[in-house]
Amino acid sequence: MVKIADKIEEEIRAIFTGDTPWVTIVWDDPVNLQTYVTYVFMELFGYSKARATELMLQVHNEGKAIVSTGSREEMEHDVARLHEYGLWATLQRGDQL
Amino acid sequence: MTTTEGFKRHGNHSYIAEFSESEKEVLLNLCEQIIELLAERVDHGHEDPLAAMVGITSHDSPPEDDVLRRLLPNAYADAVDASEFRRYTESTLRQRKQAHAISMRIHLKSADDGVIDLDHDSANAWLGAINDIRLALGVRLGVEKKSQEELALLAPDDPLRGVYAVYTWLGWLQETLLSALIDDSDEDEESLLGSS
Repeated sequence: MVKIADKIEEEIRAIFTGDTPWVTIVWDDPVNLQTYVTYVFMELFGYSKARATELMLQVHNEGKAIVSTGSREEMEHDVARLHEYGLWATLQRGDQL
Repeated sequence: MTTTEGFKRHGNHSYIAEFSESEKEVLLNLCEQIIELLAERVDHGHEDPLAAMVGITSHDSPPEDDVLRRLLPNAYADAVDASEFRRYTESTLRQRKQAHAISMRIHLKSADDGVIDLDHDSANAWLGAINDIRLALGVRLGVEKKSQEELALLAPDDPLRGVYAVYTWLGWLQETLLSALIDDSDEDEESLLGSS
């Protein structure tokens, strides 16, 4: 019971403080070309080539990378767009990483 | 197997490739297959017609087919959240992916001389469609489990050898289109800086 109350309190605090505790994660995939992954990050998120390349390399070397943060709805939108272009993406709460 | 030189940029935002008749046929055939694969799951009797009209489906479990599971992956690690998200979005995702492949098919069908001329948006549709085809072939080839060296050493009579040839050719083709596009956006960045 206490746990649920804590969760609700945390949600409410997030609403009022405008905290955006959700993240979109892209996972490594042996098929997608590195250049393609970089290009998709540039197109979908408007990242510079340097930033997009950095994220692509993180996915490649570490197996995953957080590519965007925001509200749950925003992250659901991002994941749907990444799936449309064949990247392997999931979303989750940023505080449960 | 290739005679095309891949995509090259011409002028501002035009990406052109010329394909032989047989290359065009291979690409068209792959488009048709991916369009068919992405068709809606038929589940008559359980479907609520009104819900279906707005893209909500009654199925919320991941597809059983390995290829479809890769093309339409779960959005959440949590099974309940994943099901809920799938119910509201899988239908749209199938349609968007199909739209990429349909756009590619239209270009190929209307290119009597084999010359494909893409603008930025249609280039993105081609990239998405080629990528979905590569993902599908990759699952069938077992790219997850096999190394490139193993795949390159497939026996001449192994039917997967031809599949692997198409898979690598598509990767090369995709790469030519990407380098044409990325060079382009580099110049855009420079011109923006220049004009400020």
